[in-house]
Amino acid sequence: MPGNSAASPRSVILRLSLACNLAEVRIAAQTVRGFLAEQAWLPDELMAFDLALVEACNNAVKYAGESGACQPIHLEVISEASQVEFRIHDHTPGFDWPEKIELPEPDSESGRGLYLITSLMDSVSYFRGREENLLTMRKARPVQGEVAPPESPYSLENYARKLAENEHVISEMVEELSSCYESLSAIFRYSTDSGKAGNLKEFAQRLLQDLLQIVDAEWFILRLIPKGESKLTVLAASEPAMELEPLTFPTTGKPSASMEMEAAVSRQRVWFDAQRPMLADGPLKKAKPGSAGLVHPILLGDQLMGTLTLGKAAFQNPSLVDGGLVFTAGQTNVINTFADFLAIQIANARFQEEQFSRRLVTHELEIANNIQRSLLITSLPQLPGFSLAAFCRSAHEVGGDFYDVLKINEHSLLLVIADVMGKGIPAAMFAAILRTLLRASPELTHQPAALLERVNRLLFPELSGVDMFITAQLAFVDAKDRKLTVASAGHCPLAVASAAGVKTFSPEGMPLGILPDTTFHDETVELPENCRVLLYTDGLTEALNAEGHYLGQQPLMDWLKRASASNQPAEQLKQELALELEKYQANTVLNDDQTFLIMSG
Amino acid sequence: MKMQIQGETLRISEVKELGAANSNDFRDKARAALTGEQKNIEIDLSQTMFLDSCGLGTLISLHKTTCSRNGMVRLLNPTPGVQQILELTRMHRIFEIVKI
Repeated sequence: MPGNSAASPRSVILRLSLACNLAEVRIAAQTVRGFLAEQAWLPDELMAFDLALVEACNNAVKYAGESGACQPIHLEVISEASQVEFRIHDHTPGFDWPEKIELPEPDSESGRGLYLITSLMDSVSYFRGREENLLTMRKARPVQGEVAPPESPYSLENYARKLAENEHVISEMVEELSSCYESLSAIFRYSTDSGKAGNLKEFAQRLLQDLLQIVDAEWFILRLIPKGESKLTVLAASEPAMELEPLTFPTTGKPSASMEMEAAVSRQRVWFDAQRPMLADGPLKKAKPGSAGLVHPILLGDQLMGTLTLGKAAFQNPSLVDGGLVFTAGQTNVINTFADFLAIQIANARFQEEQFSRRLVTHELEIANNIQRSLLITSLPQLPGFSLAAFCRSAHEVGGDFYDVLKINEHSLLLVIADVMGKGIPAAMFAAILRTLLRASPELTHQPAALLERVNRLLFPELSGVDMFITAQLAFVDAKDRKLTVASAGHCPLAVASAAGVKTFSPEGMPLGILPDTTFHDETVELPENCRVLLYTDGLTEALNAEGHYLGQQPLMDWLKRASASNQPAEQLKQELALELEKYQANTVLNDDQTFLIMSG
Repeated sequence: MKMQIQGETLRISEVKELGAANSNDFRDKARAALTGEQKNIEIDLSQTMFLDSCGLGTLISLHKTTCSRNGMVRLLNPTPGVQQILELTRMHRIFEIVKI
């Protein structure tokens, strides 16, 4: 009689094997019921166990398929003073345990089994392996003779009892954690490790070597999809010989020649053993013939990151030759956990890499900015009878505007203005090189066209190699003869304003770096009394206002004409033009560098 | 299992259990017993010691049958254990559960 028996202080175990069919399930459930009644479980509890057990076994029968139906279900019931545990071990393909177990629609005729199991038991876990699954269910025994205490529920005793209960639960959980999951400590160790070591390859190598030990495998290959590519490239392997060639994703509709690609495309595990041998022409077959194992796709959410292949020699293991298990359900579960963990670590490493390169870009821009600033001379040489001023304002992203003024002798200067098309350090470097080349050819400073030809020849190989070019304008000014010789390499026109009006000069010439042998032309310009000369970059005419309109050339020329009427020195004109530009661009973000040289005299 | 017809109602009693092993059979027999006259089914659960999710599915299937005839399924005197399962799965919202 159940009423006469008491819970045994030790665990008592019942083991049963039953054929995989519904009729056997009911009989087995009755045997279990009898056994648990002897262990002093109460009728209500017995009924709940009965139902949970039947539901669990029925599920195994339901998902058995042809192969599973002829294999037995093993049942283990462990009754203890504090709890009962059921282990249902089947050899069927099993099913996916849903993330959330809810009741189906009220008029659905199925789908309540798992809900009943989880409602009736305290904890339920399902480990799905290949043709082998383990469902465990636990239920705690209510504390014997528990009667609602008459005193306040907040009494000290009550708290102490609750505390003891909680402690008991916690200690059970700790025990389970430490004993069941070897992988857990490894993962904790590695997650602190991965924060320090930036090398994903080394990290994966160590992690997977450990996994080999835990799941009793002999070799592994970890393949990842490199960013922006559509192939699987080996990141780590258990031995150097296994670092195989990358696998390219097949065009849609074509079967893949490798199991790794098959797992990647289907996003499902691909097993290989004696019954389903490796593809004859697959790279794995060549590297590790006669192996059994599995390819596990590495997924982060919906995103495919790569594949993890684990294997062992089948011929040394007679049970594998006979079609035994390659990995048990527990081992498969550990592989799954490791693969999930790897996916997170890979995503993390990639994120850090991106952060790093973003910082690098910012740093590069700072360097480029510094180079550009250092190129601009701070005090301009002056000519008798003329005043000269220069202006350069950088947009946020460093372009390659620069100007230079070379003193040739007492009464002549070379004015240089240029715009390197490109950004960052390369643009700044080319500006620096151009400046040096111009300064290194004193014999040509009074022949701007010849100087441009020489510079173009020298710079062409480097510029064309990186798809960059430079527009430049050189103006040789002779104050004694009041003459100016200008040559242009695809640059904005030079403007001269006097009482006669504004004239622009743009001698023919391609930008530097377009063709190796470009011819440039000198044009000589008379400088009338009280004239203004303006050299500028397209940042001025392409200045944008708040409505999104370009300033254009005409307003600039109109301003220059007005400026020639006043009798101001260059420095004041510079400030005036800078102010005009600022007004035009009010409430906008500077989109290009703005540079000009202005001469008055 | 016993079935008798009382006017518009099919009465089923002496059901020992309603689970995966017998529920399809139970459903087919009940449906076969219905003539054009009956629109209601009354199931006496006073002797039912076991009801699982397949048994619940069968009850819902019969519920749909009676609905199509503008009738209903009434569950009589369920044992406490069965009553608990019915409540746990919210079946008491679909069926009329009667204690006489």
